[in-house]
Amino acid sequence: MQWWCSAQGLAWSWTWRPYVGVWILVAVLVVWYVRLARRSGGVDAGRRRAFAGAVASLWVALDWPLGALAAGYLASVHMVQFLLVALVAPPLLLLSIPDPAWKGLARRPAIAGALEGLTRPIVAVIVFNGLVWLTHWPRVVDGLMSYQAGSFLIDMLWILAGFVFWWPVVGKVPARARFGYPRKVAYLILATVANTGVFIYLTFSHLPVYATYELAPPIPWITSREDQQAAGLLMKMGGGLVLWTAIAILFGRWYQAEEGSGATRAEKA
Amino acid sequence: MLLPAAALLPGCGAGAGERAAAEPAPPELRGTVLEPSWEKPDFTLADTEGRPFDFRAGTEGFVTLLFFGYTHCPDVCPIHMANIAAVLQDLDYAERSRIRVVFVTTDPERDTAPVVRAWLDRFDRSFIGLRGTKEEVDRVQAALHLPAAIRQPSRPGPLPGAYAVGHAAQVIAFTADGRARVVYPFGTRQSDWAHDLPKLVAGGPWPEAGLGAAAAGG
Repeated sequence: MQWWCSAQGLAWSWTWRPYVGVWILVAVLVVWYVRLARRSGGVDAGRRRAFAGAVASLWVALDWPLGALAAGYLASVHMVQFLLVALVAPPLLLLSIPDPAWKGLARRPAIAGALEGLTRPIVAVIVFNGLVWLTHWPRVVDGLMSYQAGSFLIDMLWILAGFVFWWPVVGKVPARARFGYPRKVAYLILATVANTGVFIYLTFSHLPVYATYELAPPIPWITSREDQQAAGLLMKMGGGLVLWTAIAILFGRWYQAEEGSGATRAEKA
Repeated sequence: MLLPAAALLPGCGAGAGERAAAEPAPPELRGTVLEPSWEKPDFTLADTEGRPFDFRAGTEGFVTLLFFGYTHCPDVCPIHMANIAAVLQDLDYAERSRIRVVFVTTDPERDTAPVVRAWLDRFDRSFIGLRGTKEEVDRVQAALHLPAAIRQPSRPGPLPGAYAVGHAAQVIAFTADGRARVVYPFGTRQSDWAHDLPKLVAGGPWPEAGLGAAAAGG
């Protein structure tokens, strides 16, 4: 029995397989959040929904069947997994954190100091894109995906990259007063451009770049070249969908904030 | 100025190093080069139309990729076939038309002619499918220094009585001069085929000719 999905070289089967490591990760997250909620005196429904969304994204992405298909069969599913793990789950998890917990974090100078440096927007976008390139580099993918520990490492790097990337947008510590809505929107627009490199590399590489997927037991409905092109398109379009949704939400909040401050000014006048 | 002695003695007096420099080098291939090469085996099996196919005559003058496998194979066979087919589509017509791909089933019980044809057509309609009795196919494989295919119990699955066939996983490449010169094991990638196939079509010189080695039998 495997504890984490990895490339096994076995023909694909729709027979369910357990991946205990994924269950443990989900259980740890749930226990952590329940304790956090208790210490914070409860959390509102919106934050609970955000947490449920984050856990569901991780669980679906890492467990069977998506996790198994992503680890050893289809680069396109690997990309869906990346989107869920790095772009969907981390912001939801950050949004689910209650205010008292953020305040508690701010009171820890060592952690707050580290976050101050790592989540500086320019640093975050460089770290994120560096990790995205690294974890999509053929030698890294082919070298790690056939080992459970290697596959686990890639998934954890994606989660880390996602946290670093989203922290400047939704994180509340450190408070970055100057990084308001316009800059957050610009940051996300920059991110939609930054993933173009991997997209071009995958979509327009004529030959399959990953031995893991090229030499995997075939899935009948797609060739290895089509699969790789689909992976590139998914990165661009799926990633774009997530980022532009976030941009739209930020625009909405920005508008509301402007409306609110305008009304306040009118009242004062 | 001092000149090397060999430079003063052109023609028959030239040194071995100079001869090697003057002769074109064998193409660098990513497959495993057979030294010495093997003779193309002489056998006849039934094609997917049920007609006898004389392998030596039917592939004469072509670069020929020969593979032994079976259509229920979950991994090696479809991967080899798919990768070769994908790269063949990239070659220009002149190169493509000088290559034959021959698949010999090692599972004649399940691989009827229509089954083999339908399976090969998924990859490329020009691929040639051959069938014979197990004894006939074993003889051909022995001539190519390949182990005979063996029937193995498959992993437990939904189909009772299903079985796997253990078989040689390499593709043997014959050049147009009728010699088996390169072997491509499982794990050969499209980039490897794309690198080697045009060189195989372009021809030698091949190592044994260039190095003056004796021709080897099959």
